[in-house]
Amino acid sequence: MAAPVNNSGCWSVPGVYKHHEQRTVCISRPKYREGRKAKAVKVYTINLESRYVMVQGVPAIGVMTELIQLCALYGTVEEYRPLDEYPAEEFTEVYLVKFQKLTSARAAKRRMDEKSFYGGVLHVCYVPEYETVEDTRLKLQDRRSYVIRAARNRAKEIEQQKATNEEPASSDTATTSDKIITRQTCDDDNTGEASNTSHYSRFPPLPLPPQEHFYRHKSQHRIIETEDKMGTLHNAITNREQERVQSSTSNLPSSNGEKGSELRLALNQASVGRFVPRNTHLENRKRKMEEVAEQLETKSGQNEPLIGPKLPDPSKLDMEDESLNTTLNQIRNTMKQVASATDVKPVGTKLKPRRRI
Amino acid sequence: MMKRSGLSEGSERFEYLQTLVTEFQDTDSEEAKEQVLANLANFAYDPKNMEYLRELQVTDLFLDMLTEENVNFVEFGMGGLCNLSMDPECRDIILQSSGISLITNCLSSQREETVLSAITTLMNLTTPSSHSQITDPAILQCMLRFSLSESPRLRNLAAVFLQDCCTKEQVAEAQQQMQGQQTAVGIPLPKD
Repeated sequence: MAAPVNNSGCWSVPGVYKHHEQRTVCISRPKYREGRKAKAVKVYTINLESRYVMVQGVPAIGVMTELIQLCALYGTVEEYRPLDEYPAEEFTEVYLVKFQKLTSARAAKRRMDEKSFYGGVLHVCYVPEYETVEDTRLKLQDRRSYVIRAARNRAKEIEQQKATNEEPASSDTATTSDKIITRQTCDDDNTGEASNTSHYSRFPPLPLPPQEHFYRHKSQHRIIETEDKMGTLHNAITNREQERVQSSTSNLPSSNGEKGSELRLALNQASVGRFVPRNTHLENRKRKMEEVAEQLETKSGQNEPLIGPKLPDPSKLDMEDESLNTTLNQIRNTMKQVASATDVKPVGTKLKPRRRI
Repeated sequence: MMKRSGLSEGSERFEYLQTLVTEFQDTDSEEAKEQVLANLANFAYDPKNMEYLRELQVTDLFLDMLTEENVNFVEFGMGGLCNLSMDPECRDIILQSSGISLITNCLSSQREETVLSAITTLMNLTTPSSHSQITDPAILQCMLRFSLSESPRLRNLAAVFLQDCCTKEQVAEAQQQMQGQQTAVGIPLPKD
């Protein structure tokens, strides 16, 4: 296990950022978009994720070792330390934990967040602000190569499908019931997958989703497990599917089938599903862009538009007092005049013959 | 049989995504739109959904959000593009829809999350043919200012951009252009 670290490099200056907050959950979702767990409206990107996590709400009763042991269940912990400077609730402590891998941090966040721990409730969040430039670079590279691998494997899968398209298939009912079993085992427990794959061993294995750290040729069980962890980030998918599975198990013969066909029908009829940018919309976009471009041009006063936030105008110092500000402005104006005057007027004209007294 | 169940699972997913897109287009509720948009953007994180989202032209949907007045729309749309642009095919679609200028405008956003998504997306969009547009001096100058920011996330990401996406000569040139214009102290940052 890693040793605790104090004040080395990036491990200093804890800041309180907005993404540490637990957002209020959204309660106005319609049934079909409702997940198993109440969630806030938030978009996850790779920028928000990190192998650094912060654990808040740890009871201040000397359970650091236990906490780190718990974390280590989800992957190698490289470093950790209490964040004494971080504002904590009464009788609780805040810890910073650096995992070796992002996938471990993901799993830890998913399994530990909002779970009780020695009488307290943990809040686990990613803290990407502790990353070094190199950490950030590697995180992005990993993600990119993972997605590219996924795309490649998907292409292979499609080819395989084309090749085996003529294979005979069993009846629909068998397929659906099998799938329900698969889903449930998969959602409840990862180990269920192992038996599941052996169950299908007669058939060519389903091309596995590519993994961030393991290639598909390694053990299948492991891969599936990681894949499950990936689900953290799109709870909506698993939740939604779980819900669907549940409803289909409860009333499989009647309403579910109807619902499904209704849906399909509606979508096929109108084919409105696909997003088609309306003409007006496109024009709007164009107009807005032109406006923005104009503004930028006039603002910078140059042909090159200025992007991003600007540096502060040095002259806009606020003295928080009206009369002081007035004085300041007068001084500023005088200075400007003086500056421009010296620039424009040649010194020679100012010379007056000196009188001697 | 395995293949079949894989296929029908896919079509189920496709239908669900299609329902989301339809709701997004049909609803007048700003709140519902935000929720659906966030949903779609999160689905874009999973590579399995990329091809469905491409087929549903969600790339255009996200791009359209970038010029909305509602800052949540912009943030979620930009987040969705950040997720999608990791995929080479989606990247090409964004490039074809002249996404670079729309995304570049997001660098001026007041929201840090939007700015971060925009930077990552621009890095993802870098190809031999788009390179010159993405390393425009104005963008490099913006990144140079970000690299002095007080926010570690913004600072780091801008540093990665400057180190990985452009040449040292380009950075030096941009630095020179910046000098004399302004001093690099106390840059106002995205607010939250």
